[in-house]
Amino acid sequence: MVVVLHQLTAAAYLAACLAAGVGLALGSPRATRAAVWLIAAGAVVHALAFSLLHTADPPPPLTDFASAMSFMAWIGVIAYLALLRRARVLGLAVLVAPMAFLGVFFGALRLPQATTATTLGSGSVPHAHVLLASAGLALLGLAGLAGALFLAEHRRLKHHRPLSRSPLPSLEALDRAGALALAVGFPLLTLGVITGALWVYAAHGSALTGSPHEIAALLAWGVYVILAFQRFAAHQGARRCAVSALLAFALLSAAVLGVELLA
Amino acid sequence: MKLIVLGMNHRTAALDVRERLAVADPIPPLQKLCACEEIEEAVLLSTCNRVEVTALTRNPDAARLRLRSFFRRELGGEQAGLSERRLDELLYEYRDGEAMRHVLRVASALDSMVVGEPQILGQTKDAYRAAVECGASGPILDRLYQRAFATAKRVRTDTAIAEGPVSVARVAVALARQIFEDVSGKHALLIGAGEMAELALAALRDAGLASVAVANRTAERAAQLAVAFGATAHGLDELPRLLAESDVVVTSIGSPKPLLDVELLETAVRARRGRPIFVIDIGVPRNADPAIDRLDDVYRYDIDALASVASENAEERRREQARAEAIVAEEQQRFEGWFAALRAVPTIRDLRARVESIRTSELERALPRLLLDDAGREAVEALTHALVNKILHEPLSRLRREAEREEGMAYLEIARMLFGLDAPEARTGPDMPDVPSDMPDVPSDGDDTA
Repeated sequence: MVVVLHQLTAAAYLAACLAAGVGLALGSPRATRAAVWLIAAGAVVHALAFSLLHTADPPPPLTDFASAMSFMAWIGVIAYLALLRRARVLGLAVLVAPMAFLGVFFGALRLPQATTATTLGSGSVPHAHVLLASAGLALLGLAGLAGALFLAEHRRLKHHRPLSRSPLPSLEALDRAGALALAVGFPLLTLGVITGALWVYAAHGSALTGSPHEIAALLAWGVYVILAFQRFAAHQGARRCAVSALLAFALLSAAVLGVELLA
Repeated sequence: MKLIVLGMNHRTAALDVRERLAVADPIPPLQKLCACEEIEEAVLLSTCNRVEVTALTRNPDAARLRLRSFFRRELGGEQAGLSERRLDELLYEYRDGEAMRHVLRVASALDSMVVGEPQILGQTKDAYRAAVECGASGPILDRLYQRAFATAKRVRTDTAIAEGPVSVARVAVALARQIFEDVSGKHALLIGAGEMAELALAALRDAGLASVAVANRTAERAAQLAVAFGATAHGLDELPRLLAESDVVVTSIGSPKPLLDVELLETAVRARRGRPIFVIDIGVPRNADPAIDRLDDVYRYDIDALASVASENAEERRREQARAEAIVAEEQQRFEGWFAALRAVPTIRDLRARVESIRTSELERALPRLLLDDAGREAVEALTHALVNKILHEPLSRLRREAEREEGMAYLEIARMLFGLDAPEARTGPDMPDVPSDMPDVPSDGDDTA
């Protein structure tokens, strides 16, 4: 059933990709809005899938690659939908939908194994770690996507090639979305790293074991620190922040894949 | 019944002529026009770009003369010093199919000075409402205008005719919306003066700018413009501070060297902590050094860049116009079908009346002999009604359908001849009665308006 729900979610996100693509190609805000509704529908089905997964005894910790990708995709989508209340970034659906689809699609391919994953340790700390770290990474991903779209828009406007019918968000909105994602994601990932250390300490008697997973988590946190400093302390321009967010996203994606390959 | 449109627009008459014939309240002249026997229904559309009357008449030649006289006397052609001959040169005239197409094109903004502009639909609706209010519009113009509004909606929804601004001022607003999340609440700075710069600033102000500052070489000119824009006046020596506070800078000042250079903008951006500045440079020679493009947070558009965007949009609209014209042609065909089917109305009504009179007379003769009680009489009445309706249903539907085609007139003539409808006792009224309530039900391909 969980797999079926994941497949349904992937279908909804794929439909959202198509609607967002049509919205971009035709400059149709209606198609873009439809994409957002499809993303929201996908998020609801996705939530049902995780609820079902959580009823297993014991519930899987979602630490394997497939589950983690799917879970991060879900948190990223929820964060995007929440962001819509604070910034006019409807058009960001054009990047959010494909990323969500990829996360869920690969997750759905390997979920049967994921459901049999063993739980390390016990209590609420592992769950808190997974939730906080996933949310932090998903928000970093969202900041990266906003940065990517910002750079594309910035380039277009700098080269005097504005779209006559653009459903894409304004530069200011994308910059604000990136800042919000960073402002919320950084504390969440910090808490995620702390709870992760507690979890490892409980399981191994030491907070650091030097595993690839730990290194990737610390790398992510370090990247977050740099991004937060650059944006909130050094007051770098929007374009530089966008470039950094995109690079950070690329670096972390590579790190996550690297961890998976090493594992 | 014929349809006629007579009027003048931006292509046939200069603004000074159009403005003298324009009317603020169309109801009084319309009431006078509809009091004339040649005019059955009429709608008067008066905007800054056109003054025209759409009328329905039984006698188009007489109506044409009446409408010309209406333009001379009621709309002020005579007072404007326009001779009869001059007025004839300025007026265009469309009849029947062309008139229908014209009404649909006008409502869809295909006949506008700026193709796709949004105001004309509202103005057409106002004109129609005024005609309805004073009883000048009847069932046929009602139907035509409803069709025109539906066409305009289709054109706006199905094509990109109204997308992409085509004036420099509107392009500036559209660009500002791609840079800023919300133009309202932003601060603008106008450096210098000039018609285009002022138009751009006015368009931005309409989009909701929070404040405007005006900087000029002379304090007097700055003060004058400041009054016009509800702005604050400044000298050019205050530029560094003003730039740091401004989100949008519109500049149009005579200067041999660029007034806004990299250093000045760099300082402003630093003071603004990276918040973007949109520079609209309308000055010739340019007031903003193109080298400022290397500053990440400055978006500079000079007059050539703005005009190029506007002309690309205009080209895009021209491409979309062909699609819009196809929609108009389709909708015109639908209306023409409905309009042509009205020719069947007198025949259908006469035929129904003829058959009904036969039914009642035969019933009156038969009932006394049948010795029926009330229930029996009612049953026989219902039976004869049903028989008549069933027998007539197919031929009447066929007549309506055929009447939509030019060749269908033969069917109407044959029906009149076969049933003797042209005999004096068979005629029930004038040739063209009011549109019957069942006309929208006439089978007509694709007709979707009730």
